[in-house]
Amino acid sequence: MQHCEATKRRVHLVNLDPAAERFEYPPTVDIRELITLEDVMEELGYGPNGGLIYCFEFLMDNLDWLEEQLGDYEDDYLILDCPGQIELYTHIPIMRRLARLLQQWNFQVVGVYCLESQFIEDTAKYFAGVMSATAAMSMLEIPHINVMTKMDLVSDALKDNMDRYFDPDPLLLAEDADRSTGGRFRELNQAIATLIDEFSMVSFLPLNIRDEDSVAYVLSHADNAIQWGEDQEPKEPNDEVEDPDGE
Amino acid sequence: MDASIAAEKPAAEKPPAAKAKAEAENPPTQTQRPEPVNLIMIGMAGSGKTTLMQRMNAYLHERNDAPYVVNLDPAVAKLPFQANIDIRDTVDYKQVMSEYSLGPNGGILTSLNLFATKLDQVMEIVEKRAQSKRYFLYDTPGQIEIFTWSASGTIITNTLAASHPTVVVYVVDTPRSASPATFMSNMMYACSILYKTQLPFLVAFNKTDVVDDAFAREWMADFEAFQRALAAEEDETFMNSLMHSMCLVLDEFYTHLRAVGVSAMTGQGIPDLFAKIDDAVAEYHAEFRPALERQAQQKRDAERAQKADQLRRLMKDLSTTDGKEVDLG
Repeated sequence: MQHCEATKRRVHLVNLDPAAERFEYPPTVDIRELITLEDVMEELGYGPNGGLIYCFEFLMDNLDWLEEQLGDYEDDYLILDCPGQIELYTHIPIMRRLARLLQQWNFQVVGVYCLESQFIEDTAKYFAGVMSATAAMSMLEIPHINVMTKMDLVSDALKDNMDRYFDPDPLLLAEDADRSTGGRFRELNQAIATLIDEFSMVSFLPLNIRDEDSVAYVLSHADNAIQWGEDQEPKEPNDEVEDPDGE
Repeated sequence: MDASIAAEKPAAEKPPAAKAKAEAENPPTQTQRPEPVNLIMIGMAGSGKTTLMQRMNAYLHERNDAPYVVNLDPAVAKLPFQANIDIRDTVDYKQVMSEYSLGPNGGILTSLNLFATKLDQVMEIVEKRAQSKRYFLYDTPGQIEIFTWSASGTIITNTLAASHPTVVVYVVDTPRSASPATFMSNMMYACSILYKTQLPFLVAFNKTDVVDDAFAREWMADFEAFQRALAAEEDETFMNSLMHSMCLVLDEFYTHLRAVGVSAMTGQGIPDLFAKIDDAVAEYHAEFRPALERQAQQKRDAERAQKADQLRRLMKDLSTTDGKEVDLG
């Protein structure tokens, strides 16, 4: 958000997490105005899971509210913050329906899957990350990018190691994985390495939140995925001026 | 059927399972105690982990082989069984939420973290019980990410795996996974867990009383049948080659797991579940234990190398300063 403001891009935060607590940037659209997890849990006696699913089903039943909220921002950049529960992406078609609807409302949609770098200690864990990203994203059927976050917390020694995840060489990856898994998963490692090689959307982009260039890099990838900027109309001089994407 | 043939057949086909089952049915004598087995129940919210655990608990009780039950879900309201160790005794989830101003997920994660700090005490208790119990069942929090992608979840899993044969039981909500795309997503996630834990994997297709797991078995056995089902359901075409490659990955993945259809409600499939657990334990001994020991050895070697390196540097410093006073100011 900071970066977008700095480059004078009109961007809005849409919060879709009914259990969210606090924000650094006040969201322009907030699902908690429609419904909150707390209320659902209190009034209907659901636990945190059931409550979350109920909130989303409620949202699905009240889509005109969402359409209205988003209607003013048709030409702008929207960042939708979604809850982390993977069941919402795999077992229940809610997120998928939402993505479709956004597309129907003429929004270009890209999914950004974030994974913490802390857990990527070796190639086996990296493969685990790739698999979980694919599990979530395959259901949404929208262009997506995978981002490895908290790179600022990674020690220098590890960072060198991690470069091979961002520019993957399938042969090396498969070998690495064989080493860390003790040779049991040889064919499986090969299959996954091939998957990573064939589909760039499966590999990760590093994100160091303290590094402006890193943020810009990730943003430009997201832009590419949705072809942002191609059909921008020139704005009136007294409005915010859009910076042409000329990285 | 002739009784004698029926009795012999299982022994001929699967000696280890039959033997283990016999051991389970007849309480082991002092001389031949089978090694304890850790079973970690993992699954998406609503898959029926806890209900299945209760069914397994009841089954083992019937066979005089009562398991040791550990509950690691801090947010569950009521458990259908009496847990021997319950995280809720150590950590008050609601209090954690209010004290640290956390939402429900943060609350569960922090509760798990707090519990992990006491893990050595827990393991001590478990070790004592290991003399008299065979199965140790661990129920994990409802939100799967909290266990599989957290530091504390990893610590708990690794500690268990290093102590005794440990098997991951991945519980699947069969009715909800009946669509090919959801099935694939679910299996991909299972694959992710396999890579993370690197332990023998058993997929339990739960709720077979509602929807039979035959479709799942077909899709796992016949790669092309799955592809056909997938193509029939999906109308978007840009994902197809990606889906195809993912199917290839899954096809390989299936060779690394065993699957069983169960119903926690009716008890169907439970004996088969335990037979497959025994297979998994054998796999643990054959493949995972050596790998774990190798990793532990690698770590020890690395530590020793590091110490040697530090010592060498220290010696170097000492020699260059020739034992003179060094000004640290």
